[in-house]
Amino acid sequence: MRTSGRTSKRLTINQKYSLTGWGFLAPAAILICVMNFYPMIQALVLSFQTGIGNNLQFGGLSNYARLLKDPVFRTALVNNFVYLIIQVPIMLILALILASVLNIKDLKGKGIFRTAIFLPCCTSLVSYAIIFKTLFSYDGYVNTVLMNLGLISERVNWLSQEGSAKVIIILALIWRWTGYNMVFYLAGLQNIDDSLYEAAKIDGANAIQSFFKITVPMLKPTILLTTIMSTNGTLQLFDESVNLTGGGPANSTLTMSHYIYKASFEYNPQFGYAAAMSYVIFILVAILAFVQMKVGDKR
Amino acid sequence: MKRVKKIAAYLFLTVASVISVFPLYWMISAATNNSTDVLGGRLLPGLHLIENYKELILQQNVGRSFGNSMFYSCTLSLLSLLVCSIAGYGFEVYHDKRKDTVMSILLLAMMVPFAATLIPLFKLFTGLGLQSTWIAYILPTISTPFLIMLFRQSTRTFPREIIEAARIDGLSEIKIFAKLYFPTMKSTYAAAMTVTFMNAWNNYLWPKVIMMSADSQTMPMMVANLSAGYSIDYGVLMLGVLICSLPTGILFLILQRSFTNGILGAVKG
Amino acid sequence: MKKKVLSILMTAMMALSLAACGSTDNSTAPAAGTDSQPATAESVKTEAETPAGEQTLKVWCWDSFNVDAMKTAGAMYEAEHPGVSIVVEETLSKDIQTIVQTCAMSGQLDSLPDVFLMDDQVFTKYLQNYPEVFADLTDSGIAFSDFAASKVANSVSGGKNFGVPYDSNTVIACYRTDYLEQAGYTVADLTDITWDQFIEIGKVVKEKTGMPMLTNVQGEPDLLNMILQSAGISVFDEDGKIDLVDNEGLKEAMEVYMTLVKEGILQEQVDWSGYQGSINNGTVVGTINGSWICATIMSTDQAEQEGNWAVTNMPKLNDYAGATNYSAQGGSTWAVCSASKNYDLAVDFFKSTWAGSTEFYDSILTDLGAIATYLPAAESEAYNQKSAYFNDEAIYSKIVSYGGKIPTVNKGIYWTEEKEALGIALSKVINGKSDLDAAIAEAQSTVEFNMGQ
Repeated sequence: MRTSGRTSKRLTINQKYSLTGWGFLAPAAILICVMNFYPMIQALVLSFQTGIGNNLQFGGLSNYARLLKDPVFRTALVNNFVYLIIQVPIMLILALILASVLNIKDLKGKGIFRTAIFLPCCTSLVSYAIIFKTLFSYDGYVNTVLMNLGLISERVNWLSQEGSAKVIIILALIWRWTGYNMVFYLAGLQNIDDSLYEAAKIDGANAIQSFFKITVPMLKPTILLTTIMSTNGTLQLFDESVNLTGGGPANSTLTMSHYIYKASFEYNPQFGYAAAMSYVIFILVAILAFVQMKVGDKR
Repeated sequence: MKRVKKIAAYLFLTVASVISVFPLYWMISAATNNSTDVLGGRLLPGLHLIENYKELILQQNVGRSFGNSMFYSCTLSLLSLLVCSIAGYGFEVYHDKRKDTVMSILLLAMMVPFAATLIPLFKLFTGLGLQSTWIAYILPTISTPFLIMLFRQSTRTFPREIIEAARIDGLSEIKIFAKLYFPTMKSTYAAAMTVTFMNAWNNYLWPKVIMMSADSQTMPMMVANLSAGYSIDYGVLMLGVLICSLPTGILFLILQRSFTNGILGAVKG
Repeated sequence: MKKKVLSILMTAMMALSLAACGSTDNSTAPAAGTDSQPATAESVKTEAETPAGEQTLKVWCWDSFNVDAMKTAGAMYEAEHPGVSIVVEETLSKDIQTIVQTCAMSGQLDSLPDVFLMDDQVFTKYLQNYPEVFADLTDSGIAFSDFAASKVANSVSGGKNFGVPYDSNTVIACYRTDYLEQAGYTVADLTDITWDQFIEIGKVVKEKTGMPMLTNVQGEPDLLNMILQSAGISVFDEDGKIDLVDNEGLKEAMEVYMTLVKEGILQEQVDWSGYQGSINNGTVVGTINGSWICATIMSTDQAEQEGNWAVTNMPKLNDYAGATNYSAQGGSTWAVCSASKNYDLAVDFFKSTWAGSTEFYDSILTDLGAIATYLPAAESEAYNQKSAYFNDEAIYSKIVSYGGKIPTVNKGIYWTEEKEALGIALSKVINGKSDLDAAIAEAQSTVEFNMGQ
């Protein structure tokens, strides 16, 4: 009798705690449902509809069929992947190297270096796009310096040639985000015990060997996290395309998000088609995250 | 040998720092020069700051945009921190199988691209007549999986014994969170504040769509307008960019120590 | 506990949605009120007598030039009507279009100002797509016959007027006479000529002065569109279908443009500020654009440019039937929002300034160089005054006389898509990425694709 009474009481306490827990996470969960999941479902419904503006009718898979035939969407997709494949690895490797160097013991002025490298992150996306646009404009600073140094004989239209416009977007992205990722690696590095490095040193490993044998494997979860975050961010690029190059020249820097925006708000609005395009981004992000997690697990 | 290595390290860091800071320095110096000097490649600070400022406030309603951005970003950050920290705490302290399932479902939201939810959200908010209001600005991003995860991971460093002891003392669950957890986790809050405020302040796509009235214009929108005009005064433009970057920059400089520690707490788990 | 939290949340959400409903109700009320607009012709008279309370008319327009013109009108009206204030807010043309569209789609027109400026080239598109946004001005008492007919046509739909015409879109060619002289030419040599003749002159000028004759923003098919309209070439047929492939006129116009670029007679600029800079810094001989470009020309810091500019008509397409030396570019028209609570005030404001005051037009012409399409103003002295800046010639009356000779073309609702596609086609051809026929075919399929939805 006595014991059973106690258990029932403990159960209620546990139940109470469990309920409190639900209460604690309810606001956040409801908000995510209403602001993320519900719109996602609506977007899915929308993606099966065709028409201009609010005159929509059911169109089955026609929007998805349309996607396959759209050269502009293909261009935007390729652009996104060019950014992803070139920019993300360079940025993450650079961030990792910077973090490891900053982690070297008895190096002075670490705080200043860390602050300096993180600072670009404080500029808003619009601001830094404009800074880069101005620096690389026809009468901008970069041209002036290169002219004065005699490296070029005529001013270059950096932002109006396909190749250089893409390169500038990539440079800008690396500049803006390397410091951000570096902070994650720095935090991760502090969890690695120094004795590991000491032991490696005794075994005769040099700095590069211990970087690959200790640092990289120990930071695996953090590297995975930053890779997923960067992939996600790169596939959703919008501000840079709009403010740095306007998607030009001839759509060569246009991103998928920018094209979705144009299709919804600049052209005669094609919401159904825009929703179908956004599902492509969602599926790509999900697949890439899944693959990255699998690869991350195996190693 | 060791010395050479050290010099190489310093050299590398210095180059990286200079590259990082140079565009920012250039922005600051350009804000104090007139357009001709900016385009002429002048690098030294000039004497045109006040002139540029006068021209800027003549062209754009800087006070209103700054005030709007400040109000939206502060409200959003505070609410976001409250909602997400309670949730992160709840997931960790009261965790059981079902809550873990809910958490992993919520994490899926991290992969939802904003472009996908843009149109339905736009229809939702305009349907309610909430366009151009602060509610429309903040509601979609109050609760983010990233922040919930950050708090959940950090809560693991919060000693369980404190909770047990407080319960024996008869403190209610809410009070334990407010009086014990909150003050202890300052650095996590600082990290979360920095990230959230930066995102809130720099938000561009959603406000561009939903904040239609000129009265609800934000700083990034104002700066984008400045750069899209027919005749651009680069000194004035860069001053606008500078003002737009100041709040996030200052916030980071103030909170940076706690910021790194806060991220550390999250990465540890 | 769970119940408690849930109930709090529910109440909060209900309060939120209630508040939302409340504001929807407010906004629909005035919109419904606008249905009775045709009857307002009478109420306008009473309106002028009863500016009892404080009234504010909010206006959106782009570019400091338009802002200043509107502010001049506002100041004039405010002086005569105490208690009324005209608030002008600078909003980019592109943003106005986006906001009109988003507001119309959500049915929330109260985010729009009372009055806003619309680009003439897209006015038709928005009027056809979202007629509910624009207040009907047909019976407002505004005398539309006082404006150039080709201009009024931009804002007419179904025989009804939806806009008050503003700045002139007449195309002019402006050249530096001092540079031409160095090459042995006068403006007369560039008047009433064909593009072939122009190209020959351009080659000589380039050789003797080292300077290109023209400047244009790259990727913007503005000049191309001017050439097209000058010959009455439509890129949309009567049914609104896109007609680029096998459009001989388009091909010829694009060939002219490419020759200009290839021979260095036309220099492409990265953006608008580069375009403006090339004119103001004297690195080009001239430009062809809407007559509003005069304001840009006069905004230079170089004092020596004064008196060295001349205005004439643009070259015409060589032997194309219907080719003329006249075209249209840009230009804009004022629209009144149908949800405006100040419809009567807006109409009265227009009647006393933009559609009724020659003094007003004289003042914006003299102070800002703003050339309008208000016909009574053209007879005033200000329009016949000689401009010291432009070779002591009465350029304003000249521009007005060009305005009557512009051919009309079909503009569909897919004008934005078409313009972008042509811009991309031009840059692809110029960068050597594609040949002319392929680029035109691609542009055609892009536009058709967008129309296929």
